[in-house]
Amino acid sequence: MTSLRARAVTGGILWAVAIIVLGLAGLSSYLSSQTQARFVEVLETRHSQAIVAVSNNSDATGDLVRAIGDLVYQVPNSGQYWQVESADGTVYASPSLGEARLPRPVDTRSEERQRRELAGPNGEAVFVIGQWVTVPDGSTWHVQVASSLRSFEQEQVVLRNTLLTAFAFVSFASVLAALMQVAVVLRPLNQLRQDVSGRWEQEDGLEVASYPIEVAPLVNDINTLMERNRDIMRRSRRQAADLAHAIKTPSAIMRNELDALMTQGADVQEARDALDRLDAQLKRSFARMRADGTDATLAVATDLDIALGRMQRAFAAIAGNEGKTFNAVYAEGLRVRMEQSDFEEVVGNLLDNAVKWAASEVRLEAGQTPEGQIMITISDDGPGIPKEELEKATQSGQRLDTSKPGTGLGLAIAHDLIHAYGGKIILSRDEALGGLAVHMRLPVVVVKRGD
Amino acid sequence: MRILIAEDEPVLASQLKKTLTSEGLTVDVAIDGAEAQYLGETEPYDVIILDLGLPIRDGLTVLKNLRSGGNDTSILILTARNDWTDRVDGLDAGADDYLTKPFHMAELSARVRALIRRKAGKATPVFSRNDVTFDTRTNQVMVGGVPTNLTSQEIAVLSYLFHNSGRLVSRTELSDHIYQHDGDRDSNTIAVFVNRLRKKLGSDLIETVRGRGYVIKATA
Repeated sequence: MTSLRARAVTGGILWAVAIIVLGLAGLSSYLSSQTQARFVEVLETRHSQAIVAVSNNSDATGDLVRAIGDLVYQVPNSGQYWQVESADGTVYASPSLGEARLPRPVDTRSEERQRRELAGPNGEAVFVIGQWVTVPDGSTWHVQVASSLRSFEQEQVVLRNTLLTAFAFVSFASVLAALMQVAVVLRPLNQLRQDVSGRWEQEDGLEVASYPIEVAPLVNDINTLMERNRDIMRRSRRQAADLAHAIKTPSAIMRNELDALMTQGADVQEARDALDRLDAQLKRSFARMRADGTDATLAVATDLDIALGRMQRAFAAIAGNEGKTFNAVYAEGLRVRMEQSDFEEVVGNLLDNAVKWAASEVRLEAGQTPEGQIMITISDDGPGIPKEELEKATQSGQRLDTSKPGTGLGLAIAHDLIHAYGGKIILSRDEALGGLAVHMRLPVVVVKRGD
Repeated sequence: MRILIAEDEPVLASQLKKTLTSEGLTVDVAIDGAEAQYLGETEPYDVIILDLGLPIRDGLTVLKNLRSGGNDTSILILTARNDWTDRVDGLDAGADDYLTKPFHMAELSARVRALIRRKAGKATPVFSRNDVTFDTRTNQVMVGGVPTNLTSQEIAVLSYLFHNSGRLVSRTELSDHIYQHDGDRDSNTIAVFVNRLRKKLGSDLIETVRGRGYVIKATA
């Protein structure tokens, strides 16, 4: 679909062109007819002056040149001419005509003014006004004045050029104005686009009142859509959790029955193994559902002061139960672009592993790299993972050591979730404590754009 | 040692009760949050096993209410939810330990024993005094290296006195911690159990402080 900007600009330009073409045609035709009228008027005045001169000098034609004494008639080929012819054919003419003569219309003795256009003395077009007049002494004369059309045409050209320049300026200004207008009109839409793409910063939705009334319904719809999206996610997570809850209690009951049967000497190992697989599969599937249901673009920010504070208190208790210590050191004011429950899921699983395997100590460090990324490292003083098995450790259900209870899913769950949010998780040997170190690079909260 | 199991699933609750009772613990069951909170506030439990998904009042609220009321009984939370958030909520609200369903019963009883021990400030699971040893993990009592058979009530009395060794325990306190909430209580029977224990384990293990109660002296 064509962009709104292109539509508006094209529309604006077409409109401007139409106005300019019509305006130019109308104005230039009006001004041109005005110029022409003025030209003819001037020539008619000259003609009248010539008639007056002839009337006064009909008996002394030698004085005609002096009587019609305008200087422009003295210069040869000046473009301004007069010619007077007596009834007997004697011709008197302005010096500007030189040897050339203006032709007289044949067979007409009309005392009406006649206007004609003809080729002048040097071939240029001239406009001629001619008339037979009878002077007071009774003699008749044919009086003609002519003016070169060159100056008239030049004037027309100048006029046209001036008009074109003016209209070119106007068109340029209108296109510019159209562009500016489009930019102003489209600004709320651009803002909306930015707001929507930066929507993780706005849990409460977009602020409808800050948009023009034409855009407000759309903003409302987007809010509804986003809220519905969040609702669906929340609901499906809740449903998954409820389903897990509904399955796990019966599973616990079955497990206990099998344990009781085993103490009575029954061989229930296969059934127990099957139940273990079932539980592991469920746990895995729920973790997957959780990771798949994570919309990294819709994520909200988690305040690490709050989340890590909770984890610190909880795991200090858990570690204390096992006679181990847990210390968390983190910079204040860190925020990650993850939902808090997902963040706690990741850190909970990793800390649980660390406490389980640690000999006596577990540490958590969180900070921001100079590039602005959030790094969290969880390390312990346990046996660690051999270098060649580090890669395998984050894969689903890989239990490298079966000497401690667990499904071997903790690392894989953390790995999947971190990946779903576009983060990264790396395992290594901790230099200080000697056990496993889990490094996480977490998605940072993007600063809201546009304002 | 008295345990409160707050679990709404009757089959699981009875399995838990059966297992813990067989280990010499006295068990009450609450089937909803309101009952759990009432019992937790009125009875002197040593450990409360609290399912977070209880009807009427959820486990987390019960936990918070108990703690804000000044109750410092060891509380083990049970959760069927996968989310760490639930567990962290519980631990942050003052739970001492957690277990997720499905769990191994052996692990649950180990956690319960560890909580009881820690509350009593004892590091090892095996108590010994004179030539008597008591293994809290198996409830096995040995006298001079020879296993001795004790009834579950005798074990309950011995366990409570060992866990509180060095401290005088009144008959009422003893009866509070070995009888169920709705069981017949007769503090005279405590004297009967103590006499039997003396016969089986030697007369100088449990000392009587006349009119006040009993004590197992702390090992030097």
